[in-house]
Amino acid sequence: MRHWMFSCKEVSQRISESMDSGLPLHQRMIIRIHIMMCKYCYRFRKQLLFLRQLGRYSLSLGEAAGSALILSDEARERIKNSLKAAH
Amino acid sequence: MPEEPLLNAEAWVDEYGDMLFRFASYLLKDQDLAEEIVQETFLAALKSKDAFKGQSSEKTWLFSILKHKVIDHIRRKKFKEINMEAEDLGKTIDAFFNDKERWQVFPAPWNPNPKEAQEFKELLDIFYKCLSELPERLGNAFGYREMDGLATDEICNIMGVTTTNLSVMLYRARMLLRRCIDLNWI
Repeated sequence: MRHWMFSCKEVSQRISESMDSGLPLHQRMIIRIHIMMCKYCYRFRKQLLFLRQLGRYSLSLGEAAGSALILSDEARERIKNSLKAAH
Repeated sequence: MPEEPLLNAEAWVDEYGDMLFRFASYLLKDQDLAEEIVQETFLAALKSKDAFKGQSSEKTWLFSILKHKVIDHIRRKKFKEINMEAEDLGKTIDAFFNDKERWQVFPAPWNPNPKEAQEFKELLDIFYKCLSELPERLGNAFGYREMDGLATDEICNIMGVTTTNLSVMLYRARMLLRRCIDLNWI
């Protein structure tokens, strides 16, 4: 959909840029209006935000993924020994 | 009395070893391999401990190293190295849009329910698989930004690229990654 000044392709590029640096106010406004009217750009933005969430989610998963699973004593010793040898 | 060192490699194993092991086991589905990856993670951390400035927590830092190791491993396992030329990548991205620059390969609706832990795990699995399939430099750029949370100028320094180049790389990485998830997540 071409809404206002940006095409969907341009909006997708600007949305990606906005995840890394601030955009000028007028661009933010144009994007906001565009995504209010274009469901695919709206979905695209949601997807990028969700990708960020997935990338940073792993800590809590690592903590929560079953406390029964732990390093064996043997593995723990082996890793410590390798660290001592490398130090 | 000597000052306590900032990083104590052996204490890391006791404090973070199980957490890292659980996460690696989950992603790799192989506990022997997970042990190796955890060992590699600690060794890499020891090697680069001078670069650790305490900006993030030790735990975040170690998890970042582990995630890069896991992705490297999955990538190495691929039979065919994906090494698309920049021009091909540009064409692949262009093909998502028609000649009027409107979407023609539509982004799918993602509506994960955060309460459904199993669904989230499946999605995370697909995410790592897709990430490992990205061309290496794009995957690295994405990892630095979205997994490690590095600022763009830091990433430019690490990768030796300009801000504009990085912006294009991140756009391409995100486009390809989200498309891969669209195709693999039902």
